[in-house]
Amino acid sequence: MRAIEKNIVSCPTCSQLVKLSGKKSILSLAYCPRCGTEIHQRKLDSIQNTLALLIASIIFYIPANILPMMRIESFTGSQSDTIMSGIIYFMESGSYFVGTVIFIASILVPILKILTLLYLVYRVYKRELIYPKMKQRLHRLTEIVGRWSMIDIYVVSIMVSLVNFGAMSKIHAEVGSIFFLLVVVLTMLAAMSFDSRLIWDNTKEHYAR
Amino acid sequence: MRKEIISCSECDELCTISITQKAGHYKCPNCGHTLFRNIPRMVEKLYAIHISALVLFIISCSFPFLSFESIGQSSQITLTSSIINLYKDGDYLLSATLLLTIFIIPFTRIVLFLMLFAPLYYRVVPRFAPWILKTLQEINHWGMLDVFLVAIFVSIVKLLKIGTITIDTSLWSFAILIPLLAYGESIFEPHIVWEKIEEYQHKGKIKSFRSKNI
Repeated sequence: MRAIEKNIVSCPTCSQLVKLSGKKSILSLAYCPRCGTEIHQRKLDSIQNTLALLIASIIFYIPANILPMMRIESFTGSQSDTIMSGIIYFMESGSYFVGTVIFIASILVPILKILTLLYLVYRVYKRELIYPKMKQRLHRLTEIVGRWSMIDIYVVSIMVSLVNFGAMSKIHAEVGSIFFLLVVVLTMLAAMSFDSRLIWDNTKEHYAR
Repeated sequence: MRKEIISCSECDELCTISITQKAGHYKCPNCGHTLFRNIPRMVEKLYAIHISALVLFIISCSFPFLSFESIGQSSQITLTSSIINLYKDGDYLLSATLLLTIFIIPFTRIVLFLMLFAPLYYRVVPRFAPWILKTLQEINHWGMLDVFLVAIFVSIVKLLKIGTITIDTSLWSFAILIPLLAYGESIFEPHIVWEKIEEYQHKGKIKSFRSKNI
């Protein structure tokens, strides 16, 4: 038995069960008696919010990869690094492990996250019910893995604040890092605003939404 | 043994579970998401963990964690000075992100945990407990100290090619702090605290939100 069929909602903060009174509707509003949180049967406008955040992050993803992340200035001249050229630098200098970590964290994870969420949104929008368990696992994974993309941002910040010797040698952060930061934050927000219960909802309940 | 009905937060299945005194995880039969964890002595463990976490966090903030030497000049950074350096350099967005994700939010989390579990340890449920649990859940995803530690190791490898890099005091305390916080996170079960809050609400010692539903 599912909670939505009994017109029961669980509080998102304290998982208290609340029986909704009155007309059965997805939009009906109640407050949790234990913690006072506003509770809805499903997250409001989950699909629209997720899709909007995803589109924004796709747009930001392009300059994040094309524009340089940082610029190293030394007496021999200045050199700009994008995400990809940083990885290539690691691979050429022989530190394969770190190169792989950076590759997974800042190239593979954002792309796979955006694609997974697009797939989930599409499936929910089309009201298809195949493989619900697998789709839910994918959503959990995007939520857990998402924050690790911040590694590249932190590496840039540490290097900028550590290597700062005036005119002799200095590292600057460039626009690409800000775009990449926005990509990470937006995809995290998109994964959070997606309601995984929608995967399990049947078509009749979807029609009410 | 007592029976309890919990609705799975991932798939909306209503599950009846019978909770015993033994430690263990109760999973949703439909999707396998963990519904409830019974963790014996959770309050005591979390109180101890977060006292030591507070001490370690203060140590990590006040000593440098990396120092770098190249062409006769040297510099070192602490957790706070890296944020200030970024601000001075004009990267306002980056420094704001660092300030939030590695300083304010982890520190707030540790302090809130202490504010909640110090009274609970002495068998008192504080009046502001619902608010603390709500705030803890809201900022859960945005504290990123563990990511920052990995980033430090990556930047060590990157900087080895340019100059001499030395690991300083606070990286060690940092390396203890992060597994400690991760362990604290893994044994934190808010449901146990919510049940205590409900008891106090029935006694009238904590404000109930029942009147909000009209």
